[in-house]
Amino acid sequence: MMRGQRVLVSGMGSELGSLVASLLEAEPWVDALEGIDVDPPRRRLRRAVFHRIEPRDRARVVDVVTAFDPHVVIHLAVWEPDARVNTATAKRLTDEAATAVLGAAAECRSLEHIVVRSGAEIYGRARGALTRPDETAVVAPTSDFGRMLARIEAAAADAGARVGVSVGAVRVAAILGPHVPSPLGRLLRMPVVPFSVLADPPFSVVRDLDAATALVAAARIGLSEPINIAAPGAITAWQAIRRGRRIPLANVGPDWAITRRLSHLFGAPVPDHVVETLHRGRLIDCGRAHAVLGVNPTATTPEVIDSLYAWPSVVHVSHADLSSVEVGVA
Amino acid sequence: MARTAGVRRTGSASAHLVPLAPPDPADLPPHQVVHSDGGDASTVDEWGRDARFVRAVSPLAAMRWDVSVGGTANIRRGGGLIVINTRRFALAPVFTALFVGEALDRPVRFVGRPDVVPFGPALRRIGGLLAEPAEIAGALRAGELVVLGAAGTSNTRQAGPVDPALIAPAIHERVAVHIAATLSSMLNRQARVEIGPALRITSARRGPLAEVELAELAQHRLQTALDELGPMRRAVSLPGWGLLGASRDHS
Repeated sequence: MMRGQRVLVSGMGSELGSLVASLLEAEPWVDALEGIDVDPPRRRLRRAVFHRIEPRDRARVVDVVTAFDPHVVIHLAVWEPDARVNTATAKRLTDEAATAVLGAAAECRSLEHIVVRSGAEIYGRARGALTRPDETAVVAPTSDFGRMLARIEAAAADAGARVGVSVGAVRVAAILGPHVPSPLGRLLRMPVVPFSVLADPPFSVVRDLDAATALVAAARIGLSEPINIAAPGAITAWQAIRRGRRIPLANVGPDWAITRRLSHLFGAPVPDHVVETLHRGRLIDCGRAHAVLGVNPTATTPEVIDSLYAWPSVVHVSHADLSSVEVGVA
Repeated sequence: MARTAGVRRTGSASAHLVPLAPPDPADLPPHQVVHSDGGDASTVDEWGRDARFVRAVSPLAAMRWDVSVGGTANIRRGGGLIVINTRRFALAPVFTALFVGEALDRPVRFVGRPDVVPFGPALRRIGGLLAEPAEIAGALRAGELVVLGAAGTSNTRQAGPVDPALIAPAIHERVAVHIAATLSSMLNRQARVEIGPALRITSARRGPLAEVELAELAQHRLQTALDELGPMRRAVSLPGWGLLGASRDHS
C-alpha cells in the first residue's frame, strides 16, 4: 500500500471499529484517519478524527465523507441483531448506514478501495448446506443477520463496480471478546445456557482483536474478494457450557421458541442467527486467509470462549480500594 | 509514579484486576487463558470431529468389528482420498475410517453422513462429511484423509460404480487417490481393509473426462483388488498356528 493514504472508518464507535481505528493509527501507510458513527469511540484515539452522525442524516454523512475524500473506506457500520439494538432497529440502521456511507464514498474522486465487514452468517445453514463453506460457496443466508450482510456486500460490490474501485469483504465468525456486545456471548454467559441436545453442532468464533487485524490487513493489501476469518478450532455449545461451568438447558427443537422468550426476559435476547448457530452449527473454511491477508488469528476458539468466561460479571471494589486510588499529576 | 487501584490490588490473588485505561492493542499480551477447572476440556476439530468421542466409541466399534488393516504404508502424509467398496448396511466407510485412523494414528474422515438429527450430528462427531464435492474438496485441501465409498452392492466381492463428482475434488486438489478393498460380514465380527498404492493416471485430461475416467479406473482397480483379496482375515503367523491347522486337516 502506498503511503499517505486517507482512510475512513464507518462504525468507528463500536468495539470493533475503535479497535480497527487504533490499529490503523499505527499503520505507516495511513496518513489521515477519520471515522463516523452514532456512538463515540470506545478507545482513546490519538490521530483519528471522529464525527458523530446519525446514519439517517445522509446529507451530513455525504458532506463529511466527500470533504475528507478518502482513498480507502472500511465499512464497519453493521448492527448485529440484539447486540446493541433489536432486530428491526438493527436492520434499519445497517441499511441506512450502508446507503449513506457507501453512496458517499462512491462520490469521492480519490477512492481506490472499499473493505466491508461481513460475516459467516452470509452462507446460511439450510439443510444440506456445507459444513465448512469456503469463499466460493453460494451466498444463501437463512437468518436476518445473514441477509443484512448479503445486502451490504451487494451494495458495496455495486458501488465499487460503478466507480471502478476494488471491493473486499471480510467474512468473520461471531466476534467475541470481553467488551464486545454480542448476543452469542451474552447467552453463553448466562447462568443457564440452552443447547440443542440432539444436534449440539460445532461452531467457531473469533477474537475481536483478530477480526480487527484481518480488517486492517484487508485495507492494507487492497483485498478485492471475500475472505473468511475465524479462530482455529471449534466448539459445541455443550462443551462451552462445561468450560464455563454453566447449567445446561437441553432443547430438542420446538422448545427453542419458549427458551428464546425466557432468555429475552432474563436480559439475553436470542436472535435467529444465534439459534441457528446453536441448532445447526456455524463453521467456515479459512484456509486462504493467511495466504491472502498474511495474518492468522492467534487465539483459538476454545481460548476465545475461555476468555469470555474469564471476564468477571461483577467486580467488587471495596471502600478501602477506592480510598487508595491516587491520581498522578505530571 | 502514580498508583492505581489495579496496581495496589495485584497482591490479592482473588481480586479481579480492572485496568483504568485500556491497553494499546499492540501492547496486548498473548492470550493467557486457563480453563476454569484446569483440565483438558474436550473440544471438536474444525469439521466437528470429536477425538474424545471417537476414543469412547472405539471399544464399541471393536465389539462389532474385528478389523485387519493392511497397506497403511501406501498412505503418505498430507491429503488423500481412499475409495472403498461398500456393501449395503455394512457401514464400510465408518469402520474403515475408524480403524484406518487408529492404524495411522491420525484422523480419517468419511463421506456420506446425513444432515438430519440424530444420525448426522453423531456421525459428524466421528468424522462424517456430507456427500458434497465442495465438502470433500475442503477436507482434502486442508490435508485430511477422506474415505469415499463406491455405490453399495449386495455382493461382498463386487465393487460398485464410483461417483465422478465426488472423486473430482481429488483431481482439483491434486491429492493421491488410493483404493481400499473392504470385506465384512453381517454374521460375524471379522472384517478386512486392504489399502492399495496410489492410482496412477496415465492419460492427461483437461476436461470433465478426467474425473469420469478416474472413477472408472478406481472401480476397476477396486474390483481387481477384491478378486485378488484372500479370506476375511489376513494370514496370521502365530507360533503353532500352522500345526493346529495341519492337525485339523489330517483328522
